[in-house]
Amino acid sequence: MAKRAILSDIRIQTWLLLGPALVIYVVFAVFPMLDVIWLSAFKWNGLDPVKEYVGATNYVDIFTKDPVFWVAFKNTVIWTILSVSIPPMVGLALALGLNQPIFGRNSLRAVYYLPVIIAPIAVATMWRWMYNPFFGLFGQIMTLLGLGAYVPDWLGSRDAALYSAFAAHVWQSVGFSMVLFLAGVQEVNKSLVEAARIDGAGRWGVFRYVTLPALRTTLTIVLVLAIISSLKAFDIVYGLTGGGPAQSTQMLALWAFTQSMQIFDFGRGSAISVVLLAVTLAVVIPYMRWNQKREEAAQ
Amino acid sequence: MTLTSAVSRAALAGGLLLAGTCLSSAEELTFWMLNYSSQASADIWAKLVSDFEAANPGTKITIVNRGTDDHKTAIRVAAGTDKGPDIYFMWAGLGLGGEYVKAGLSLPLDKYYAEYKWDDELMPAALSFSRMYPGGRHGVPSTFRGEAIYYNKALFEKAGITSLPANYDEMVAGAEKLKAAGIPAITFGGTVNWHVMRLMDVILESKCGAEKHDALKEMTAKWSDEACAAASFTELEKWGKNYILSPFMGIDDAQAFNLFVADRAAMVLEGDWLVGMLDEAGKLEDVDFFPFPTGTNRLYGFADYNYVSSKSKNPDLAAKFLDYLASTPVQQEALGSFGTTSVNKNVVYGDMRPLDKKWLDVFNTYGEVYLNGDQAFPLDVTTEYFRIINEVVSGNMAPADAVKAMQTFIDNKS
Repeated sequence: MAKRAILSDIRIQTWLLLGPALVIYVVFAVFPMLDVIWLSAFKWNGLDPVKEYVGATNYVDIFTKDPVFWVAFKNTVIWTILSVSIPPMVGLALALGLNQPIFGRNSLRAVYYLPVIIAPIAVATMWRWMYNPFFGLFGQIMTLLGLGAYVPDWLGSRDAALYSAFAAHVWQSVGFSMVLFLAGVQEVNKSLVEAARIDGAGRWGVFRYVTLPALRTTLTIVLVLAIISSLKAFDIVYGLTGGGPAQSTQMLALWAFTQSMQIFDFGRGSAISVVLLAVTLAVVIPYMRWNQKREEAAQ
Repeated sequence: MTLTSAVSRAALAGGLLLAGTCLSSAEELTFWMLNYSSQASADIWAKLVSDFEAANPGTKITIVNRGTDDHKTAIRVAAGTDKGPDIYFMWAGLGLGGEYVKAGLSLPLDKYYAEYKWDDELMPAALSFSRMYPGGRHGVPSTFRGEAIYYNKALFEKAGITSLPANYDEMVAGAEKLKAAGIPAITFGGTVNWHVMRLMDVILESKCGAEKHDALKEMTAKWSDEACAAASFTELEKWGKNYILSPFMGIDDAQAFNLFVADRAAMVLEGDWLVGMLDEAGKLEDVDFFPFPTGTNRLYGFADYNYVSSKSKNPDLAAKFLDYLASTPVQQEALGSFGTTSVNKNVVYGDMRPLDKKWLDVFNTYGEVYLNGDQAFPLDVTTEYFRIINEVVSGNMAPADAVKAMQTFIDNKS
């Protein structure tokens, strides 16, 4: 009887449901995060039995002595700005188009979503081949068009490499935004759309004053996910350029990995990870709070 | 059988089993190495281990294979514990193998070198790396690799090159002749940083000479003070601008090889392993090679070594196993699986391809070696060396700035 009373307590039920996930979260997410922050105050190569405490030296070094850190920082900012603008815009356009009653709509939705389920490293392998300046698809097409002399070194030129990698990222990620927007578009109240049309609104008017406001929550989700995934961009750049040429496509996440797992400077790699974490929180938290307040005001 | 006797027999059997386990555990060896490159390699290793165990009753050899990065990480993890291998594979040189030696993970093998007389049995060029570490001799060579300029004989002829270059200036003159004939002189793949690095390494050896080149790589000489370092970067820039088949920063070494065998470039700077690849491509007759004419009488190359761990409980057995691996009969049996040539100088070669035979002559000719940059430098300096080389060869950094950047990084490190 007493056991039943305990189990029927809503607080007990809550903790029973949350407990296992919380334990896993603490062990596999919170603890490693704290461990990285702690490790960033040490100099350690993974070989020495003792880690040498160096305080903030790793941070000072990456900010003042590391010739690649600020390149990686700038690239991460560029990648993030491009990621929150281009793939969501293309995804929204595709969602609006594929929401229309056109022939082969479901097949086209599947086709546009397909790249999302391919592993980024496989996408990188495919695109690396297409970008090959001698044998690649793009070079061959340009040659057929008589533009062979103008085939750029897509992944070998420091001016083009980052944007070439980003094009591959757009191809892979746009389907994800499209699916989220498609779900949002299908939830738009049809009676509101009809009412707007009766009031004389054209296609743009319906989109601007009915569809777009209804997509506000979806838009927030898409943008927050885009920001987070772009700040930690790693695999596709690693697979396409490895950070090259001459570290010109380095990203913060990739540089942290390189420092820790290839150069085996775990302190410096951890410091870069902590900076990346701080930047992510500094961008995402204010945006989410601003958006939350806006939604509360709208209600 | 009564219950009591059954229990007694079981206890006796258990005791014997336990004793056997203890006995065998005293004679166990763990060997960490990279994944086998082929099934033939896996088969020969299985046979060699089995033969050694049969010849040494009670001995158990356990081979643990990993990918390159996993292997490096596993050794680092093991370094902080009492566990780990008795023998581990690692490249030779101060950069890769030397890091583990410096950390005290490698056992000095001087007494085993004397006991097993490895100096009498193995190639001097391959052995030279064992002497470069402070505090004694470390590791035993398993394979030795030389790198040289492979050239397309027809393209050389077409460009009017009638004799092979004897020094660096003649090398540049040859490249200029090829350029004048509309033939890209050499091909590299820039996405793998170490490929273009080879060109910088041989230029440094040519321009600085052996002693100064070593001092620069050991970071005891200042890159910004040595005129030959800036001159080497200037030469590298010149090669990037004039002689390397472009574009090259967006392709890798495999694609560079494909371009070479497609007659798109006259030369490639590769190792002795290329002979097999040329054979598969049906280009053996069309290609020859020569060591880059640096004028220092040292061969460009590197070696794979097996090191005995300082934490090994059975260092004598580990050394015995390494002696077995390096021995003439085993090297003779494994020839072709470990490499086309052996580190053992007593191995007899039968029907060799002409280029393999030429490589063997080269290995026996040179007594000294200069290392690839990525195996000479510590890892962080290697990463910066790659960056600066790529910037210079792409024309994005002036040679004068390159030597400053290199020295600044080294100074900041200390």
